[in-house]
Amino acid sequence: MRKVLLILVLCTAMLSAQEKPGESRFLLRGYAHSGVEVRGDETTFVGGSFNPIFLWRQSDKLLFEAELEVEYENGETLIGLEYANMSYIINDYATLRLGKFLLPFGTFAAKLHPAWINRLSSKPLGFGHDGVGPARDLGVELRGGIPLGEAKMTYSVYMINGPALNDGTNPNVEPEEAGMLLYDLGEDNNNNKAIGGRVSFLPLSNSSMEIGFSGLYGKVGSVESKYEDVAALLYAVDFSYVSKVSFLSGVVDIKAQLNGVRVDDASYFNVEDSSNYSFSNQSSAYYVQMSYRPVNMSTDFLNSLEFVGRYSELSFPEGALWTSDQTQYAFGLNYWVDWRTVVKLSYQFADTGAHESEGEEGEASNDAIFLHWAFGF
Amino acid sequence: MKVKHVKLFLVSVSLFFGALFLASCTPSQAQASKPGALLWGENCVRCHNAPSPSAFSDSQWEVVGKHMRIRASLTADEVDKIVEFLKMAN
Ligand code: HEC
Repeated sequence: MRKVLLILVLCTAMLSAQEKPGESRFLLRGYAHSGVEVRGDETTFVGGSFNPIFLWRQSDKLLFEAELEVEYENGETLIGLEYANMSYIINDYATLRLGKFLLPFGTFAAKLHPAWINRLSSKPLGFGHDGVGPARDLGVELRGGIPLGEAKMTYSVYMINGPALNDGTNPNVEPEEAGMLLYDLGEDNNNNKAIGGRVSFLPLSNSSMEIGFSGLYGKVGSVESKYEDVAALLYAVDFSYVSKVSFLSGVVDIKAQLNGVRVDDASYFNVEDSSNYSFSNQSSAYYVQMSYRPVNMSTDFLNSLEFVGRYSELSFPEGALWTSDQTQYAFGLNYWVDWRTVVKLSYQFADTGAHESEGEEGEASNDAIFLHWAFGF
Repeated sequence: MKVKHVKLFLVSVSLFFGALFLASCTPSQAQASKPGALLWGENCVRCHNAPSPSAFSDSQWEVVGKHMRIRASLTADEVDKIVEFLKMAN
């Protein structure tokens, strides 16, 4: 904690020292959020999270970006490195990035997850921790945007350490979750690097619509284990549409993403009954979100409101000890204090399918009401 | 699994055509001929609310412009014009 404070003090000093314009520019920004959550008969204040973002524009061609996540959870202050990378702008169409970066695997992780951008207080099913698909990793990336007359496209190709397979042999990482992929481990478990990319098209001349396709492939098994040759193919399709709609006097925003993970079949050891088992290892998750903000109404109060609805679904493989099928609905009403400050009230209910394995119908559970605020600065 | 795929397919198709319908009334214009203010209005709202020009100083806009050019894979021409506009209007 003391280290973070020291860094902040140093940065503030650097900021105030910048009086005459020079090549180099520094910006300290970030966001914070917290809130209160009601689940069943439990009501808690949660999520005191503070994310400082450091941006150095070294020259016209060089940018460094880093984000820390300082969270208060279960009585402990946790500090995480969200990303830290350097970008070198090669030319109008290509930028090289090196370091730890948010992966362009779909759009949620790289572009929509910060609390002041996400229209709801929670993440869609399968898009948070233990989700389907990666959010960040260490590696190298080439990316850019290309004009195509009235339309546009973007691309990214990257090489990263990649996900690792939980093969059930390490007692420290939940053997009953054998077959699951672990993301963002910091160090690779083999020599093989994972290769991935995303292309997206913005077919309309006002850039309001974007459709993106992402893929990632690599070996995930630990070297010199019997899982050495197990590989995984991950893919995502994303969709975004944001536009003013005059007959609704407001802005309509539609976001959707589908993630899929396919891991080669392998046989795992069941610690409970000492048997070997295997299954078709496919997981998927998707969400569709729509929001509407009446920005052209007669009063400031109405202009600052926003209505949101989201549906998400998650499916983990049948036959795995972590098999699960879940669905979730979330509805929200937001009040925007300014462009980066929002108070979000939302209600969500989920069918976690928790009892399906016992032959019962999944029952509606995990109902929750959230009142969160998010503050960008 | 099958029912899920059909549902997903229907959701995607309706999203696509719904958006096309909503978009059908906007006139087309080549990206290269658009002024900075228009590009700002069209591009800076796609992920978050668009910041107003007065939110930052000239030198801060230069950093934000680079950051967003890379994060959002905006084209060089777009970002140059948008930053120019923001610096003029702040
Ligand atoms: C493809 C999505 C996307 C688009 C398009 C986009 N932004 Fe952003 N913007 C983001 C994300 C994501 C962040 C948050 C960065 C983070 O938390 O890592 C952000 C952050 C910001 C910030 C806060 C300071 C910073 O640099 O982090 C400003 C200011 C900003 N955007 C301005 C703009 C402007 C101006 C445009 C139009 C040129 C724009 N954005 C277009 C995704 C986007």
